[in-house]
Amino acid sequence: MNKKKVSYAKYGYIFSVPFVIAFILFTLYPLVFTIFLGFTDMKGLGSTLATAHVQEDLFANFKQILGTGTFRTALSNTIGIWIANFIPQIFLALLLAAWFTKTKPVKGQGIFKVIFYMPNIITAATVAILFGALFGYPMGPMNDLFKTLGIIKEPYFFMQNKTWARGVVAFIQFWQWYGYTMIILISGILGINPELFEAAEIDGASDFKKFWSITIPNIRTVLIYMLVNSLIGGLQMFDIPNLLVTKSGPNNATLTASVFIYNQAFSGSYMYNRASAASMIMFILISICSAIIFFLMRDKYEVAEKKAIKKAEKAMKKAAKGGAKA
Amino acid sequence: MKRKLLSSLLATAMVASLLVGCGNAAPAGDAPAADAPAAVSDDAAPAAPADGDNVINLWSFTDEIPGMVDKFLEANPDFGYTVNTTIIATTDGAYQPALDQALAAGGAEAPDIYAAEAAFVLKYAQGDASGFAAAYEDLGIDVAGGLSSADIAQYTVDIGTRPSDGKLVALGYQATGGAFIYRRSIAKDTFGTDDPTEIANIIGAGSGSWDKFFEAAETLKGKGYGIISGDGDLWHAVENSSDAGWIVDGKLTIDPKREAFLDLSKQLKDNGYHNDTQDWQDAWFADMKGEGPKGIFGFFGPAWLINYTLAPNCGGEAVGEGTYGDWAVCAPPIGFFWGGTWVLANKDTTKAEAVGKIIEWITLNSTEDGLQYKWANGTLNGEGGTKDCVASGTVMSKSNGELEFLGGQNMFDAFVPANAYANGKNLTQYDETINQYWRDAVREYTSGNLTRDEAIAAFKQNVGDNLDVVVE
Amino acid sequence: MKVEKSFSVYKLIQYIVCILLAILSIMPFYIMIVNATRTTYEIQQHAISLVPSGAFFNNMKILTGKSFNPLIGFRNSMIISCGATAFAVYFSSLTAYALVVYKWKLRDGFFTFILAVMMIPAQVVSIGFYQFMYQIHMTNNFLALILPSIAAPAMVFFMRQFMIPALPIDIINSARIDGAREFYTFNKIVIPIMKPAIATQAIFSFVQSWNNLFLPLILLTDKNKYTMPIMVSLLKGDIYKTEYGAIYCGLLLTVLPLFIVYFLLSKYIIAGVALGGVKE
Repeated sequence: MNKKKVSYAKYGYIFSVPFVIAFILFTLYPLVFTIFLGFTDMKGLGSTLATAHVQEDLFANFKQILGTGTFRTALSNTIGIWIANFIPQIFLALLLAAWFTKTKPVKGQGIFKVIFYMPNIITAATVAILFGALFGYPMGPMNDLFKTLGIIKEPYFFMQNKTWARGVVAFIQFWQWYGYTMIILISGILGINPELFEAAEIDGASDFKKFWSITIPNIRTVLIYMLVNSLIGGLQMFDIPNLLVTKSGPNNATLTASVFIYNQAFSGSYMYNRASAASMIMFILISICSAIIFFLMRDKYEVAEKKAIKKAEKAMKKAAKGGAKA
Repeated sequence: MKRKLLSSLLATAMVASLLVGCGNAAPAGDAPAADAPAAVSDDAAPAAPADGDNVINLWSFTDEIPGMVDKFLEANPDFGYTVNTTIIATTDGAYQPALDQALAAGGAEAPDIYAAEAAFVLKYAQGDASGFAAAYEDLGIDVAGGLSSADIAQYTVDIGTRPSDGKLVALGYQATGGAFIYRRSIAKDTFGTDDPTEIANIIGAGSGSWDKFFEAAETLKGKGYGIISGDGDLWHAVENSSDAGWIVDGKLTIDPKREAFLDLSKQLKDNGYHNDTQDWQDAWFADMKGEGPKGIFGFFGPAWLINYTLAPNCGGEAVGEGTYGDWAVCAPPIGFFWGGTWVLANKDTTKAEAVGKIIEWITLNSTEDGLQYKWANGTLNGEGGTKDCVASGTVMSKSNGELEFLGGQNMFDAFVPANAYANGKNLTQYDETINQYWRDAVREYTSGNLTRDEAIAAFKQNVGDNLDVVVE
Repeated sequence: MKVEKSFSVYKLIQYIVCILLAILSIMPFYIMIVNATRTTYEIQQHAISLVPSGAFFNNMKILTGKSFNPLIGFRNSMIISCGATAFAVYFSSLTAYALVVYKWKLRDGFFTFILAVMMIPAQVVSIGFYQFMYQIHMTNNFLALILPSIAAPAMVFFMRQFMIPALPIDIINSARIDGAREFYTFNKIVIPIMKPAIATQAIFSFVQSWNNLFLPLILLTDKNKYTMPIMVSLLKGDIYKTEYGAIYCGLLLTVLPLFIVYFLLSKYIIAGVALGGVKE
């Protein structure tokens, strides 16, 4: 039956080849290297695979990592800081996105959109220096402000307080990324069929009602993207926690999993094996979390996708027929 | 069909990449690895000849040593070698991994001369990477003769001596023995004198104990002054005066003198003997200008602290402006050193003699044409440059360390004996990391977030979890 | 009527929030510019100030005197960032096209695979990556920083979401009927449709590549290959004496090109990119 149908499937493979090759060379090889290292005793400066041995107890490194209190601290910090930054971030971004996509948006919205993304342009090192100075002790703008307002009498050592230190890290993440999140969410909202809104308007729905029952369900895919992207970025949080307070203090309050991994490998002992095991544990955790997100948000998204596929199939068949005729 | 083909392709690719990985990791550096660079090298080094016959590769983390070598080449036009400089900042810990790779890889692009900072010199001179270093004697340097004629500070020799064979592999050009640098006006106001010998007495110089220093702190407090800016100022002196380093026989060791820093720091904070600043932060710099909440008597530091840090932050450039000219130097209660750069050579260098000449000029030449004389007198880049202490006692004795900043005092009078107190034997290659954990734990204790025992436990856990060190 | 009434409080709150956020966003840039005009001494005494000083030209002099060559750094950063961005957007679009338009057996598996790739933690892969680059002598070669961007999984995901609804399959079919070859269709018809998505992703990718410090720092050791951020970080390398004024000048020079690229492409951010598209 299909004799005359032109098969375009091979182009799917051909067009994916550059991605696959680059991936194999620059990510897969280093990754396999990393996975393998996790099972070896490779540590110390100048150690190579040639001199490394696979551990007798295959999972010795993994057991060791899971047994260290510092790693557990790092994990719970990472998750805590991510949640503290992501929840306000997504709410603010949604709010701004709603404001900027209304039929009568805020005046000057173009400029605001451009400005809100700007914190993302500065390098993390600069941001860390600026915020470190802002919360300086015993002298610093924040201390001056609090003293002027009469909240404190003696200078307060913000970065010696766990809650403050974590809060500042979370705030920086929030501040650097809400603009990006907003831009992506606006993209999602712009893609919604305007007829849906018009119909709701005729029904006399309020702004909030429209947002809740039309906008949110229709940007599901974009929200998944946002969530997964932010989760991955959040669990890999590295620069700010590494730079804001020396050794991610006070007492590991701002230590994140990525900084922990980096420390294993580079803070003196070059324990590549333990660092690799720790990153594999991270990888597994991220995969599980992402799978949960996909599962929770799957339904409508998948239905829509299947429809699209069927449509495409039909179109292809049509095209094939048309091609055959011509 | 197709699926099978692709999956087997993928599998083959994976296996192949693994094999390539193992092959490349092999120490022999087999043929394929050697062929690969061909495509790269044409544009990689436009100026330097690819054969590297008369090119000396120099690796450093600042432009300080490259600047010196430029002067050496200027003074020796017939030297016959060009120097190819690589500078990688220590920022984000980038210098060490890159240097380690370059040393391990070897070949024509490997460093011939490389620099190491005090924070990590132990690794290259005595620790994991000491195997890459060439003994100075193999570079054609007369080590014994040079050391005695230049009268090199012993602690820099101790640090630069490789324990496995007892050979000298690294030397510095600076001497970074520390002293106590104090404000004359505050001294007069409190103790009725600003004379360095009397102040030295008052703070218990050379006594090896902090008792008199804390007595002085109490006296200063009565006048509304703090004795130091923050506990970080004290730490460098404490760290260096302990009997044992952080690691003994692979085990974490907390020397009683270092453990006592917990109590010293707590005492300073609870009694309000300082402004509770942290080194290199705004408030610390402000204290140099005398603009902190209370006037600060002094700072612990080597000569470079005066020229690089105190002088630029004193709020003036001539006597009478800010605290300029209001400073003096005296011996500290306990000898210590802080910072410094050491110079090493690669054992596989093919230009040992030329490399040796450069290194000797930097580290052992005590004549007026040698680097150290120019460095000590601030004349390397012309008259009027920054004066600094150098490793050679011979040079120091014929150099002039008078500074207007110190009210005309010759700083070398205080720093030369200080270099003798400095001790290079209680260092370990993990000091930078361990010190940071220790200081964090101490701050947690002094601020009341942790008890003394909890602070020590937290410190031990951090070291044990992050370093390959046995913690009991 | 209704509009007038709703204006008062609600609108006011919107403006207040937006203006506050705008100030928060602009502040660090302002502080950076102000600090570039202050002396190291002034910065060390008070790291943050709103009042400019007069040391800008002196700072620039220190900056250019310290083996800091902004032109070379600018050129190198441009080559790397433009190269990486161009490769990333082009090949991500191509891969997304393969995922959306063609029906092939491994497609769903491949897509799941790309999602999985997104989740690989970056830090430790960089250990293996660096050792690999060193072994095949790709250090001091810009390609080591450009080629890996061909495989940018997050961008493929984004492009795919953009393409699914936005790409009318009929256009492709009619192109095929006209006898266009697949690759030609992609370059001449699909890429122009993708323009808004490409521009948006290009901004993100360019910013990331331009600011990247760690990998370039350890891969590029020849000073003629240094990027702008490496040069700035070198200014800090001398731990005993840091010229903060000059560093802020360097930071300013580093961020300027980003601004230009950002504002050139910002019309796509203002207009917005429709993701998810109109489904009839």
